[in-house]
Amino acid sequence: MDYGIELKEQEAVVALRGRLTFNDHAKLRALIREMLQNPVKRQVLELGSLEFVDSAGIGMLLIAREEMGNADKKLVLRGAQGQVKRVLTVAQLGKIVTIED
Amino acid sequence: MIALNWFSRTPPAVAPKPEAVAPEPEAGGVPYAMHGTHQGQQLVVDYDLLATWMGFADVQRRTLDAIRAELERTSGHVESATIDLSGRFRELAGKALEQSQRVAEIVSVAGSVSIDDERVPLDDVVVHMQSMIAEMIANIVQLSKRAMSMVYLLDDVQKDVAELETSIADIDSINRQTNFLALNATIEASRAGEAGKTFAVVAQEVRHLSQSTGALAERMRSKVDAVVNGVRNGHEILREIADTDMSPQMLAKERVDKTMDSIVMQTGRFQSVLEEAAAVSQEMSTTIGHMVTGMQFQDLTKQRLEAVGDSLSVIAAGLNDLETRTRQELPPDMRITTPDAWLDSLLSQFKLSDMRQRFVRQLLMEGSALDLHGALDVDAAHVDSLGGDIELF
Repeated sequence: MDYGIELKEQEAVVALRGRLTFNDHAKLRALIREMLQNPVKRQVLELGSLEFVDSAGIGMLLIAREEMGNADKKLVLRGAQGQVKRVLTVAQLGKIVTIED
Repeated sequence: MIALNWFSRTPPAVAPKPEAVAPEPEAGGVPYAMHGTHQGQQLVVDYDLLATWMGFADVQRRTLDAIRAELERTSGHVESATIDLSGRFRELAGKALEQSQRVAEIVSVAGSVSIDDERVPLDDVVVHMQSMIAEMIANIVQLSKRAMSMVYLLDDVQKDVAELETSIADIDSINRQTNFLALNATIEASRAGEAGKTFAVVAQEVRHLSQSTGALAERMRSKVDAVVNGVRNGHEILREIADTDMSPQMLAKERVDKTMDSIVMQTGRFQSVLEEAAAVSQEMSTTIGHMVTGMQFQDLTKQRLEAVGDSLSVIAAGLNDLETRTRQELPPDMRITTPDAWLDSLLSQFKLSDMRQRFVRQLLMEGSALDLHGALDVDAAHVDSLGGDIELF
């Protein structure tokens, strides 16, 4: 998995690419730290280019949400497609995290 | 010559007529003047005409008897056939009703399943199972999150333990320097002679202290190594757990949902088809019931035919009476002619051979015309060929 952060006035947009699996846990932790450090409140994970997420990836997204919540920031998952969208739906993650199309 | 009074019941005097046996009424008949006492008019009737009339009357009476018998026979046939049909229709109606009840029974259980001896609607079962699966997936999600939190925690612990190892190494390094310094102090104390004696004791104590510290550091290192190994193993196991992807199991819910929906839909379709079938069976049963009721026409028909038969009996009795009275008026040797042409024409009407046979028996074998037509021979020759087309005349 790769990511790129784009800071905007109202939100930070983090574009995730490739596959988000357990192997990316260190990378995701670093990303969370970066998200905590930037000053913007609304943190958007752009998932349009993410091809696959495993159950560990879902767990990491929930940790990210928790960390953002602890720092009074808001996490948004946006534009999920294919398998990622299906897993988010089946896991009913919309009950816990804000999901946008 | 004869004088007939048709209105009087007392027979008039009979005058024999020698030439009364004439084959044709028109040829050679002798007219006779008859007085009508009431009307005051005369009617001329000859014996031949009367004989011909008698022949007709005889045949008519027999015909009426035959018709009456045929009516009774037919009525009997219709009655037994109707009773038989009604019975079968009732049986059919009963079966249709039974079928509709069975189908209704199926319909009543089709939409539900039995769980622990309790009927549970299929919709409820599906909703329950779907919520169970959703709960299971929610558990998987929470488990994944906790596993990852644990992984991060152990990542940190590993870093801390590594720092601990470094610290122990630092203690070792310090201890070596302390020991070295204590050794130098001992050397310097011995050079100082008597004056350095006390200092040499202190230096020696410092060396002992340094050795104790070294032993402590060594004990710590072995324990820390054990902790590090434990943490690393635990971390490895946790990685394996967290690395087990459960997303395919989560996505199986999609398939399960579709299957459940399909089952519910299919059951609904079966149910509606079965309901229709039950309604049709019910309708059939009702229709057959109406048919059975409709067959009561036979009762009415039987009564009508009986009335017709009774009328025919009365007419036949009247004819018989007239015949007897007329016979008394005719000369005893007067021959009564059989109306052959009329008889032939009558019998040719009957296409059914068994019916024709019955008429022949009634009309000819019991009558005077038996010899003329030879019906017995014909009848005997064809009596076995039932339903065949017997040519009698």
